[in-house]
Amino acid sequence: MGAVSTSTIAPDVANLQRIALKIFLDDESLLEPGDVIPVFHRWIQTQAVDGLLIDVADYSHMPTGPCVVLVAHEAHYVLDRAGGRLGLQYARRQPLDGPLSHRLATLGRLLLRAGRLLETDTSLPGPVRFRGNEIECVANDRLLAPNRAETLTAFRPALDAFLATLSAGAEWTLTQETDPRARFGLLAQTQAAATLDTVAERLG
Amino acid sequence: MTWKEALGNSVPADLAREIDTYESQLALKGQGKIDDKVFAETRLRRGAYGQRYDNGQRNDGTGVKMLPFPSNGRTKGPDTVWDAPGMQRIKLPFGGLTAAQMDTLADLSEEYSDGVCHITTRQDVQLHYVHIDDTPSLMRRLAAAGITTREACGNSVRNVTACPIAGVCRDESFDVTPHAEASMRFLLGHPDVQDFGRKFKIAFSGCRQHACGLVIMHDFGAIAVTREEDGVEQRGFEVYVGGGLGAVPHQARPFEPFMTEDEILPTLQAIARVFARLGEKRNRARARIKFLVAQLGLDEFRRLVREERAALAHDDRWTAYLDGLPAYGEQPLKTGHPLDDESGSPTFKAWARTNVYRQRQPGYAVATVSLPLGDLSGWQFRRLADVARRFVGDTVRTTVEQNIVLRWVRESDLPALHGELESIGLARPGAGSIADITACPGTDTCKLGIASSRGLAAELERRLGEQIETLDEAVKQLRIKISGCFNSCGQHHICDLGFYGVSRHVGGHIVPHFQVVLGGKWVDNAAAYGLAIGAVPAKNIPEVVRRITDRFVHDRQGAETFYDFTKRVGKRALRETLKDLTTVPPHDVRPDFYRDWGDPREFGIGDMGVGECAGEVVSLTEFDLVGAETQVFEAQLQLEADDFAHADALAYGAMLQAAKGLIKTEFIDISADPNQIVTEFRSRFFDTQLFFDKYAGGKFAQYLFRRHARGERPADRDTARQLIEEAQLFLEATHACQARLASQPAVPPTGNPPAVAGRA
Ligand code: HEM
Ligand code: SF4
Repeated sequence: MGAVSTSTIAPDVANLQRIALKIFLDDESLLEPGDVIPVFHRWIQTQAVDGLLIDVADYSHMPTGPCVVLVAHEAHYVLDRAGGRLGLQYARRQPLDGPLSHRLATLGRLLLRAGRLLETDTSLPGPVRFRGNEIECVANDRLLAPNRAETLTAFRPALDAFLATLSAGAEWTLTQETDPRARFGLLAQTQAAATLDTVAERLG
Repeated sequence: MTWKEALGNSVPADLAREIDTYESQLALKGQGKIDDKVFAETRLRRGAYGQRYDNGQRNDGTGVKMLPFPSNGRTKGPDTVWDAPGMQRIKLPFGGLTAAQMDTLADLSEEYSDGVCHITTRQDVQLHYVHIDDTPSLMRRLAAAGITTREACGNSVRNVTACPIAGVCRDESFDVTPHAEASMRFLLGHPDVQDFGRKFKIAFSGCRQHACGLVIMHDFGAIAVTREEDGVEQRGFEVYVGGGLGAVPHQARPFEPFMTEDEILPTLQAIARVFARLGEKRNRARARIKFLVAQLGLDEFRRLVREERAALAHDDRWTAYLDGLPAYGEQPLKTGHPLDDESGSPTFKAWARTNVYRQRQPGYAVATVSLPLGDLSGWQFRRLADVARRFVGDTVRTTVEQNIVLRWVRESDLPALHGELESIGLARPGAGSIADITACPGTDTCKLGIASSRGLAAELERRLGEQIETLDEAVKQLRIKISGCFNSCGQHHICDLGFYGVSRHVGGHIVPHFQVVLGGKWVDNAAAYGLAIGAVPAKNIPEVVRRITDRFVHDRQGAETFYDFTKRVGKRALRETLKDLTTVPPHDVRPDFYRDWGDPREFGIGDMGVGECAGEVVSLTEFDLVGAETQVFEAQLQLEADDFAHADALAYGAMLQAAKGLIKTEFIDISADPNQIVTEFRSRFFDTQLFFDKYAGGKFAQYLFRRHARGERPADRDTARQLIEEAQLFLEATHACQARLASQPAVPPTGNPPAVAGRA
């Protein structure tokens, strides 16, 4: 028996809710992943980020994939090492209201807010800095958003609007994940460098 | 679009039906129509487990805080909040995996969990932080890949384990894989395994001397043996019963020195029936079969089983699989080819020394993918599936040491395989060494966890991994296993250095500790269980490991094993070696002693909850009543969809199932035949007026009789609707009748012949 192919199913990005956005560290050597564990625990104590924060899962023993996860009901905040690149991911699990473009902007705000908190956390030796000109977007739902060209076409308008806000109009290049079995994923990069602060401000 | 629609016919019909039913039960629970206890056991039997903090509270390090889940009072078990994340256990018989199944597991971990797949100590896979609402889709996707989660937890037959190298082992009597698989298939959902007071675990091993099958710690364990009969080799099993770890570990007792292959399944069935009938149901701490064997004595237990076996009605499935045995075997993807000893880089050679096992078949090897704490990411699993496709095909298995093995690697491919594994972060050397530690989920996700087994394991793996090349050979080969509490899911009794979590009050604080367990044996199928020699603060455990292993190297006599060394030196002397380590420094001097490994919170045990290890003891009648409720519910859905015939059949089925449940209180072997159910119901509950309502008398029973007498006639909207309403009333009357019966002194049900000869 084989894995099931969803290649005949039309994407339905309008209803796509499980979306993950990830920003990347500028200099990975400046952050020891284990140091983030107490930070995430503190976030739970002080309710520092949005959501019903539940617990912290430590996967720093794995060489790739999630590294430290702040588990929440609505979304996981993940210090993520997937693809060999350390960054912060906001992976939504529960639905949000509004059209896709609106939802993307909300996810972006929640992610950037958490990213800024890490950048300004005085307990981390750091300095922790995220790149403001690179963001990864993954659709964590193979049913509604299989990794195919049609999904990209359907997803582009909302994504383009979101990215344009982030870069104040500067051009982005998109690289799509090539493995058809993987989740639909895009890495967006722009030449226009910016701090996370600036990007957060643009997003409002 | 839903997964149910998308998958369509790719889900085998029987699994599809089971999962539909499960989904309906979720909906019914949402409407408050299923009791918490019954629902908990229902989901457990589909592998959906509770997880730490699912009672809606957690100590965040500053005090206990409520976790305000949006559930609105909705629960998925006693004191278990609906929206709280849960664990999904996925049953992999003998750990077998195909490449396509690995792809599916990878997908599910990403979409429903946290992107991590965890291999358990019984060859299963677990996903954590799963929302119960996602479980039906998750199960459908697994089913489409040929995997069921049925009876992965709960009081049922758990995963059937077997040596991961069965069939390719150089020392086995014969390949036990087909027997393990046949046992699993035969017992899955079998009516005789539905009424246990506790779980039941089965293991098969190909030989006596190695550890792989861990037969001695199982409820039912079978070791492959052969004998000569009239000059012909005959295959059979040395069978053990009543073993088990847990708080009170028992070694399995020899049940039969040589059981022929054809007797394995009927004997399992007979044991299941004896266990269901006589096993403890109320006191769960004493409900495993090990207690029954101890209580009855082995001889009496054996006698009862043989008597039960003799009375069993013949079942073709007992032996059907044996016909296929001569042809059974895995097809290697490639022709075998040896590796010349000079090949490969130094890193490859270091890896090959510990992670490669030369198969019985020349030119082939088994490669072990050693996983830190049994974890790999979804991405790694998908890539590993590709590696499997390229080098071995579908001959992959998980191990009880929480690793994965690729069987049938052409030896000359090993360097290339190693390279591929390296590129996906899965080429960790040291498989089966002291740095390859087994650990239960512990306080990370288990409700019963006291100390962080995984936190400690990660720390020890890190330290020992760094030193591995410089460690003495004898030390390298030792095994460490860690449990978060005495329940021993990490199998801490059966290794060289075992640890299990406990807590100690010190100066007004609670301090995480681990009991140090010595004297266990991994080899000879887990032949000896270790004993605790004393509790040491968690933060001192790395030093415990260092001291004991140093002493072993220093005082070892010749080629003495660690087991013999501990016996000779004695636990008292070893305890003495650790004495100073048992002291906890004051809080203001070493605050880190008051925190657990990998957890910055001040340690406490307030987060422990009620575990679901035992599942809930739910009677067969209660299960049937839930099944009946589910059918009525589904009947309503069909009515709404204008499928009147289907609605009618479901409503009728609901009454039959409810009646069957009642009959089971007196006669457990009632069949599914409608004629027999109605006849038995009439004689036992109608003629006796037991079913009668104070006001309505026998009216509700008449609904069933009328529908039964009517036979197959086309239904329309009105008749279907009426029957649904009648079925609902019949069900209410059944609940009431069951409550009346429950308040009377119980007479245990028997497997007696029917009170009235059924027409079936
Ligand atoms: C009183 C409660 C429990 C007892 C007595 C118990 C006992 C055991 C034992 C003895 C094993 C070991 C292996 C074996 O028999 O082959 C095991 C396996 C396991 N237990 Fe428990 N357990 C309990 C509750 C739990 C809970 C609450 C969890 C966490 C959710 C848990 C997680 C596991 C896991 C992950 C395994 C390996 C799994 C598998 O069957 O695939 N256990 N349990
Ligand atoms: S040994 Fe204890 S802590 Fe570990 S999984 Fe079992 S019940 Fe939980």
